[in-house]
Amino acid sequence: MDPARRLGRAQIDVLAQLGVSTVLLGGIYALIAVGLTLIFGIMRVVNFAHGEFLMLGMYVAFWAYSLWTLDPYFVLFVSIPLFFGIGYLTYVLVMRGVIHASHNVQIFTTVGLSTALQNVALVLWTGDFRTVRPWHSSVVIRVFGTAFNLSQVVAFAIALGLTLVLFAFMKWTHTGRVMRATAQDHDAATLMGVDTDKVYRLTFAIGIACVGAAGALVSPLYAVYPTAGLQFVLLAYVVVVLGGLGDMVGAMLGSLIVAAVEVVGSYFFGVAWKEVCYFILFIAVLVFRPAGLFGQRGAETLGV
Amino acid sequence: MSLPPSRRAAAVLLGVAALAPLIVRDSFVLDSLILILMWGALSAAWNVAGGYAGQVSLGHAAFFGIGAYSAALMTARFQQSPWLGLVLGVVLSLAAGGAIGYLSNRLRGPYFALSTIAFSQVLLIGASRWRGFTAGSEGIPVPFRPGVWTLGLGHVAWVYVALVLAVLCYAVEIWLEGSRIGYQLAGIREDEDAAEALGIASRRLKVFAVTLSAALTSVGGTLWAQYVGFVDPFYVFSIDLSIRFALNTIIGGLGTALGPFLGSILITSLETYLRATFSGFKTGFAGIYLVIYGTALILVVRFAPEGLIGLAGRFGAWRARADA
Repeated sequence: MDPARRLGRAQIDVLAQLGVSTVLLGGIYALIAVGLTLIFGIMRVVNFAHGEFLMLGMYVAFWAYSLWTLDPYFVLFVSIPLFFGIGYLTYVLVMRGVIHASHNVQIFTTVGLSTALQNVALVLWTGDFRTVRPWHSSVVIRVFGTAFNLSQVVAFAIALGLTLVLFAFMKWTHTGRVMRATAQDHDAATLMGVDTDKVYRLTFAIGIACVGAAGALVSPLYAVYPTAGLQFVLLAYVVVVLGGLGDMVGAMLGSLIVAAVEVVGSYFFGVAWKEVCYFILFIAVLVFRPAGLFGQRGAETLGV
Repeated sequence: MSLPPSRRAAAVLLGVAALAPLIVRDSFVLDSLILILMWGALSAAWNVAGGYAGQVSLGHAAFFGIGAYSAALMTARFQQSPWLGLVLGVVLSLAAGGAIGYLSNRLRGPYFALSTIAFSQVLLIGASRWRGFTAGSEGIPVPFRPGVWTLGLGHVAWVYVALVLAVLCYAVEIWLEGSRIGYQLAGIREDEDAAEALGIASRRLKVFAVTLSAALTSVGGTLWAQYVGFVDPFYVFSIDLSIRFALNTIIGGLGTALGPFLGSILITSLETYLRATFSGFKTGFAGIYLVIYGTALILVVRFAPEGLIGLAGRFGAWRARADA
């Protein structure tokens, strides 16, 4: 065996670093994807404008930082209720009218919303790349030969915390149970006296609040510009399809898989080609297991 | 005349486009006309899959880009005629369309749209990163060599080239409306299970529609690149471009032959007008037309899902009632 490739000290360090990067990245992807999958699972709508809400979340953090030097992690306390409100309003103004329409109508409604929001940002804030550089984004932590920066760790911890809170909410509260019931069978839930319109309003608001929070969390790590949401939302589609559209635990596992593919792919093929890796994975999953790795077979052909 | 009103309107519009270069010599007007015809034809090509077969793709820019790159590389790198590039683009798009159509055959609704987005993104990354062959993210300037064989044409000649493309795409749509295959595709679009129960080979027909649509889109991509003279991977493979084809069609009337062209007239002139008006303002302000696009899309699918054609039909019915 080639001595350079033997599993030595350096290789173990590389593996550890790849592992840590995967987990940190996966946690943030999970928060983005969980909102998308929640909206899909309950409302049966693929929100093509999801990335634009992330972009808006990043801009909120950017402006708060550049105008008042507020740390993105404090902005979170404002962002979550703000985006909850934005999601609620978007549902009432845009989504409510098409919730029972055909898939095509829903696709084009959210696509239209995406185009409009992207360009509102372009008109208001130009196409410049803007960055948030709080003190913690330049603090590097080294543990056992691995290195990562403080922002990444905090973002991961908060993302994980928020995702777990959402899980607990869905599992143990009455409202969460009502939401899950609506996801399982909309008609039966209506017959049991569930106000599905209220459920949808809440679902959309929670989904958007998640992605708005994710926007604030990623702002110290990535530059923001009007189409910044695109790269993340494409990723979130991969995650969500991998885990099975509408499956929240699947979305968590999917995030880890996608993060692993991205981290390992950029290590072996270079950063430039990492997207190709997960798109090929995406197409492969759509072709061979369209209901997701853990989903029920056949869901995709029902067009649900 | 026994032709239905939409055919008569199409004949009038194409006739006006054919006569316009004889009267108007203003290059701004001719340029707008060429773009209206090209975007109309490309949207009609999208309509073949999205409207007639119900295969709503958000990745048609993939085929547009294949056509654009085939011809641009053929001329810039190999000094060959763009017509050879056009043929190559069609061959590649037939293969790519067949592959994506076949692979995503089982997928319906949003799953199909997602898979087409992923496909066009793979091509975007490939074209923008493979620096040695495609010149990467810098894009390719298409050399201008006068002559028909090299497609180095003046504005007037380009109007007729675009017109031929538009007539071709329109003819394909008309053929679909009257043919057995067209009816079978409509059956699949409305209810796939019922169509299969009637013995329609839905999978094969869906692949056929996507492939046909891909080939036409590729021709449009080649001609657009040769007309504009520059191929930028981030434009020709962009999701925005795919949305544009869909947008024109939906605003005009999904699954109607004339709809894509009506949508193109409205959207392309709006874009040209707003660009000319706001170009003096700070950069980025030109994006205002895209805000209008997006909002228009939301409003149309909500309140007039049949598009301009549907509105015209409703107006006609209302007038007929008023007369009676």
